[in-house]
Amino acid sequence: MGRLNRDTLIALVLLVFCGVMFSASFEIEVTNYGTMQSSVWPQVVLVVLTVFSLGLLGQSIVKPRAVEASAEAAPAGLGRFRNALIVYVLFFLFLLTLDLLGMLLGGVGFVFLALTLLGEPSLKRVPLHLLIAVAMVGIMWSIFTFGLGVLLPDGELLQLN
Amino acid sequence: MLDHILYAFSDVFAVWNLALMTIGVTAGLIAGAIPGFTIAMAIVLTLPFTFGLSPVEGLATMIGVFVGGLSGGLMSGMLTGIPGTPSSIATTFDGFPLARGGKPGFALGLGVWSSFFGGLISAVLLVTLAPSLAVIGLEFGPWDYFSLVLFALTITASLSGENLMKGMIAGALGLFIGTVGEDEVNGVARFTFGFDDLESGFSFLPVLIGLFAFSQLLSDIQDRVKAREPLMDVSGTDGRVRVEHLAAIRTILSRWTNLVRSSLIGVFTGVLPAAGGSISNILAYDQAKKASKTPEKFGTGIPDGIIAPESSNNATAGGALITMMALGIPGDIVTAVMLGALLIHNVQPSPTFISDNPDLAYAIFIAFFLAHFIMIAMQSVTLKLFLLVTRIPMYVLASVILAYCAIGVFALNNIVYDIWVLFFFGVAGYILRLLGFPLAPIILGVVLGHVAELNLSRALSIDNDLMLFLSRPWSLFFLVVAAFSIAFPWYQKLRGTQSWTLAYVPALLAAVAVPMFMMEGIARPIIGVALLAVSAYLLWRSAKAGWKVAPEGDHEVHLEET
Repeated sequence: MGRLNRDTLIALVLLVFCGVMFSASFEIEVTNYGTMQSSVWPQVVLVVLTVFSLGLLGQSIVKPRAVEASAEAAPAGLGRFRNALIVYVLFFLFLLTLDLLGMLLGGVGFVFLALTLLGEPSLKRVPLHLLIAVAMVGIMWSIFTFGLGVLLPDGELLQLN
Repeated sequence: MLDHILYAFSDVFAVWNLALMTIGVTAGLIAGAIPGFTIAMAIVLTLPFTFGLSPVEGLATMIGVFVGGLSGGLMSGMLTGIPGTPSSIATTFDGFPLARGGKPGFALGLGVWSSFFGGLISAVLLVTLAPSLAVIGLEFGPWDYFSLVLFALTITASLSGENLMKGMIAGALGLFIGTVGEDEVNGVARFTFGFDDLESGFSFLPVLIGLFAFSQLLSDIQDRVKAREPLMDVSGTDGRVRVEHLAAIRTILSRWTNLVRSSLIGVFTGVLPAAGGSISNILAYDQAKKASKTPEKFGTGIPDGIIAPESSNNATAGGALITMMALGIPGDIVTAVMLGALLIHNVQPSPTFISDNPDLAYAIFIAFFLAHFIMIAMQSVTLKLFLLVTRIPMYVLASVILAYCAIGVFALNNIVYDIWVLFFFGVAGYILRLLGFPLAPIILGVVLGHVAELNLSRALSIDNDLMLFLSRPWSLFFLVVAAFSIAFPWYQKLRGTQSWTLAYVPALLAAVAVPMFMMEGIARPIIGVALLAVSAYLLWRSAKAGWKVAPEGDHEVHLEET
């Protein structure tokens, strides 16, 4: 997909988003108090967002070269996002299992798996990754638990609090 | 006043606070030195640690990180040629050739001491200007405040990149994110779609960490090969470099005009909402080159090329703090995080901040001074630490920091929902980055959205006449500069090629003179007359030259994350 098409697509997605949210703004409760209703400000913002999205749409059609995105945005296949996808999946799993594993075990698991999957695929590195995960998460967990008095989720497997 | 200052002194110079500031400065120096690890990210990651601290301790630590970060970028820039932060880009132009030319100790000395003097000059201006500006801020009504927020958002968007439209969209998206959840005015839930958790809206910290830190880290590890390599190649760097302090001080003081001019550029840039060290260092370098008798030597490793960017980028911090403390408006992302920290401690940033919280205000002033002394002391120590840290691969750093983000975000309200918010905005931030959207306007939109809505509501409850936004002088002033800031990217792009750009500055001055005439007293209308006179002179000069355009400056100004 060319750059022109991508920015056109972004503008269209934004316009749909504005439409949906504008429609949702009519569901906001109307109160019989207050000078400015709670829906006014979001609607003002959505109108502004719609105008800018239309501007981006027009720009992407009229002057496609001017709408070039940053160099970062150049697509080069999904493989380019491998690391980001790994981290998102691991973080999602970490969140899903937080009730069971808690912050300490879950955190160690997340860091260990992230290191192992992002780093060099070598068995020699596994103990090092485990050591880093246990040490770093352990230190952070201790600072927040004992130093700052934060009750981090301990999970069903390891009840510490 | 003296008792407030003494009280602030005792707070700042407490042993625990000094230790925290030293850690903060050291962390800032290291973070600033690592390319891809920005000062904003360092400040964002510091915030969770400050929950359990007093406001003075928390802010002093963050100021330490800020000052350290601004000075840390010079280490990698000079020793490896890769600037640690965008605020040290111009330092590399002369710092790297000087260091490679056999004088790394002298180059580092110039950088460190220029940062120090620039910071001190801005600290003096902070102490003198912030209270005066706050007095002006007290004149603001809700109409003026609303227009000020609009100005802050438009200038952020216009400086955020090459695509103004995307900057504007980003700002509006930030404002929209701020509307989710119960509104502050009427207490009515908005855009919750039946999810109870959404009623509390999105806390500032998870949004900030998600958008900035999470997405930045994932961008840093995007390249699989690079992610596994050490952060930087410092193999040719001698860790035993000794900073030449005395020679550097003598050289800087003998070029005091460059130092003062660059520091003032830094402070002025910092005062502007959105403009930060990434802009000021290039502006100051450009001006130093123009003012030099030997501009051709710039880029070959001359002291002036280091003094200008390093003094200006540290001075920017003082400027940003002026706006934050006097008006309650963040000058950049870093001060936006500091405002967030104040809110967490139930301190409301506003023009009455200095008069309502004098102990805290003076503590910030003192901490800002002190941080520069600590920075000087820690620079040599962190040089060795920096060389050690650079051996760590990015994937290790990113994995550990992501886990820390989760812990830090949870600590804000002790609810898992905040980590989900972090995750959501981490994904959103990454996608927005890929699509070329600047993130700074989103953050400012989130921070300032509540302020804008609250003041709009107040303004309409006092009088529903919308013309008041144009008839009140300060409101008109901010709307005028907001309008010109929208046109700024075109002016900047076409300056030197199209004749209409010659009228941009005169038109701005003339337009700003109008609200000045509307203000009470004698001084401000006189300033209005002066602005009109300058405007007329510039137009006359351009007309006399036949409206011929000549290329100006070598560097375009864009806001990058500091």
